Amino acid sequence: MIESFHLGFSDIHKRYANNRVLEGAEIIISSHDCIVITGKNGAGKTTLLRIIAGLEKPGSGAIAFDHGAAEPWGRQRKRLLRSVMYLHQQPYMLAGSLQRNIDYAARLNPAIADRAASVARAIRWAGLDGLEAQSAASLSGGQKQRVALTRARLRDPHILLLDEPTANLDGESRARTLQMLREFRDSGTAIVIVSHDPDMFADLATQQLQLRERRIHGATNRNPDVVELDSVRQSKQR
Amino acid sequence: MDTLLTSCAEAFRLLFSGDADTWEIVAISFRVSSLAILCAVPPALLIAFALAYGNFFGRRLLISMFNTFLSVPAVVIGLTLFILLSRQGPMGDFKLLFTQTAMGLGQFLLCLPILVCMVHVALQAADRAAWETARTLGASRLHAFFTVLYEIRFGLLAALLAGYGRIISEVGASMMLGGNIAHYTRNIPTAIALETSKGAFAEGIALGIVLLFLAFLVNALLQYAQGKGSINP
Repeated sequence: MIESFHLGFSDIHKRYANNRVLEGAEIIISSHDCIVITGKNGAGKTTLLRIIAGLEKPGSGAIAFDHGAAEPWGRQRKRLLRSVMYLHQQPYMLAGSLQRNIDYAARLNPAIADRAASVARAIRWAGLDGLEAQSAASLSGGQKQRVALTRARLRDPHILLLDEPTANLDGESRARTLQMLREFRDSGTAIVIVSHDPDMFADLATQQLQLRERRIHGATNRNPDVVELDSVRQSKQR
Repeated sequence: MDTLLTSCAEAFRLLFSGDADTWEIVAISFRVSSLAILCAVPPALLIAFALAYGNFFGRRLLISMFNTFLSVPAVVIGLTLFILLSRQGPMGDFKLLFTQTAMGLGQFLLCLPILVCMVHVALQAADRAAWETARTLGASRLHAFFTVLYEIRFGLLAALLAGYGRIISEVGASMMLGGNIAHYTRNIPTAIALETSKGAFAEGIALGIVLLFLAFLVNALLQYAQGKGSINP
């Protein structure tokens, strides 16, 4: 079970050359959250996820961990990379077998004591047993998605970011992916999903947000985070 | 035709009789070129990574410069280093001219741009998600670096072979910087040039056969490695 946490992004700006992507975007992510973000193509959804993951530096803005003080980007990126995991729309499979892909994630988690047993358990959890020796590149889209989620399980992040996780999946793969995500959320992992099909995650979502006009607009089913966002803003000034 | 056949027969006799002079030249060639490429690989990888994944001022200019260095003739590298290393040159005090170190230095500069450009292209062709996946799974920068290297291993191997092929067979820089001194700086290409000028074709052909055999061997190894790595072997 993941310990309780808050991660706040306030007044986030991002632009690529003359293309302004985000202007004043704000979001708070807490344990057990499942936030679904929708928006048109090119609205900046993936950019937002990449900023949250620490893979992209915001032009400006404040990031606060558990309402703490603002820190230099280098340190923040380190903390983001440590606690957030980003799953690409097309999950990247490392060269080699499915087993190697899962084992790679297990090796990077020092908290895992018995690696072989953990990997075997995770593979069973994802229903991928029997495919261990198969080349990861030759797996189907749904299987690759499950490999990515299995790696995430072994990584055990505070926040899991998914970019269109059910795009191009058949009904069975979709149902399995949703079940796996539910287990993540129940264990305390916060989930942020970018999707064109928010209804797919209706049962799972705790918040449905929309990214339009370079800002995040909330249609939330939990209390507004005004107080929390204020504390993020204050942390920027401290 | 008779001369060619006789020279070839004599060349094989030299090789298989274990002629000490011939095999010494081969050993010098491999020692200098192997050391040169070993020294060039770490900086080349770092530069290629910086060019592929970095975002800094002058990046495009650097890429253009390394691409330009690809077509610099070996004699120009040789001449530049000759001026630097000659007694009156700024590095004359090191007394490196006409040594294996000077030859190695020349070969280092020759293969560096090849390695940088080919690894850079391999990195650009590879999915950037490899780096990001490694990082987001908790890999340190160094670990992610080696992960990506493994992902582009065939491109990396091709770069190494191209770089090695360039330096083991180049004659201009080695001749100028090594001076073709017997038992010291005489390597395969400079020996071939010398023996040919003397009309001693057999030794030149023998050394040429060694070069060709080596080229075949490394290419066969590459093919084998690629075959093992393919999805549908």
